[in-house]
Amino acid sequence: MKDLILIFISTLLINNLVLSYFLGICPFLGVSGKIESAFGMGMAVTFVMTLATSIGWLIYNLILVKFGLFYLEYVVFILVIASLVQIVEMFIRKYSSSLYQSLGIYLPLITTNCAILGSALFMVTRNYRFLEAVVFGFSGGLGFSLVLLIMAGIREEIHYVTIPRVFQGAALTLITAGLLALIFMGFAGLIAS
Amino acid sequence: MEQILIPILVLGLTGFAFSLLLALLSKKLKVEEDPRTAKILELLPGLNCGACGFSGCRAYAEAVVSGKNVFSGCLPAGDQANKQIAKTLDLTSSISAHKQTAICHCGAKEGEKKASSRYLGPNTCKAAHLIGGAIDCAYGCLGFSDCIEVCPVGAITLKQGLIYVDIEKCGGCGKCLQACPRNLFEIVPIEKGLTFYNIACANKDTALEVKKVCSKGCISCTVCTKVENSPYRMKDNLSAIDYTKENTQETLEAGKNKCPTKCIVKLDHKPQTIDHRL
Repeated sequence: MKDLILIFISTLLINNLVLSYFLGICPFLGVSGKIESAFGMGMAVTFVMTLATSIGWLIYNLILVKFGLFYLEYVVFILVIASLVQIVEMFIRKYSSSLYQSLGIYLPLITTNCAILGSALFMVTRNYRFLEAVVFGFSGGLGFSLVLLIMAGIREEIHYVTIPRVFQGAALTLITAGLLALIFMGFAGLIAS
Repeated sequence: MEQILIPILVLGLTGFAFSLLLALLSKKLKVEEDPRTAKILELLPGLNCGACGFSGCRAYAEAVVSGKNVFSGCLPAGDQANKQIAKTLDLTSSISAHKQTAICHCGAKEGEKKASSRYLGPNTCKAAHLIGGAIDCAYGCLGFSDCIEVCPVGAITLKQGLIYVDIEKCGGCGKCLQACPRNLFEIVPIEKGLTFYNIACANKDTALEVKKVCSKGCISCTVCTKVENSPYRMKDNLSAIDYTKENTQETLEAGKNKCPTKCIVKLDHKPQTIDHRL
């Protein structure tokens, strides 16, 4: 239990996928314009990431390890993620049209989200057990949503400020992202090893 | 040989299993879509303006087709497209969505609106309005073009601190109404070919106060209401036109010519031709 909590906090804050591994930067900059859409994207990523790590774990340990085909992990994980996203999209569309309205547009974007492939690969290199992998995937997604929401909040506020011309647009967004990453480095001392 | 064969088999089978699953699920979870939805979606202008009260054209098309919502006409689409949509839906009753347009109730240019202080804050109307604005008039257009940014069709332009609405382009979706912190916009029905008149002032103060802040404002002199069969009415120290009535061009023109501050303006159906000379 202690392990799981440790994994949860460390993935959420200290080893945040976006700000310390620089994964999933494109949605981080692309969908962080509005809090509403950032929330939708964050929830969709959390959902798919949890599923991807758990099903990826099963396939890796039950099939790949058995045949000694460790080098196939990249291809297989991509396959898993792509099909998962498709299936999830179909399910949501069939059974909850309101959820589809709010999440639907973000789901196809997730197929190419490197944070999800990254979390699946980390799960392998860190030799997680099944439950650990699930918690890792969930907290990774939550960490992504957290950072995305913080970024969206800051960017919404920036709208009300006069910005010098050279900093307008992408420039200030990238600087904000860099400062956020610096701030998150402060969490490194949160857990004494 | 085995070293090649096993990975091929494993990967192939995993891929096959997933594709089979996907194929089965796509059959089982198929969502039946009415073919009329796509057809109507094509006829709708695709602005996603939200004037109909739905989140976008797609949501509107789905609601109309499923019968959850009675089709009452899409405002920006225009008469032609609305008739075609009604035909697709087998509606026998004639649908007439009157074309609507937004008009701006401030007609003062940069020099005409007096400003006793310089405003150096953020360049948005919302921010300027918070501290009382960049101009002395508490009702007039601030000119930071919040409305231009939200307009989905680019019908609004700003020239010399004065807002122009292109009646040809405007679909009357009402986004500018929400964007303007001073509530200067109004959505009014228009008929093609009719020259349009607008009270270009929203100042509800008395004549004395208006004169202090603007040279173009309505001073509530009531001259325009005294024309024969006048379409103008006084309300809150302001002249107003009742657009629901059928007003003749003669009476509107007569009232306009009498206006001492020239704050009644004529809008033509040609882009950017607000007649400010008279």
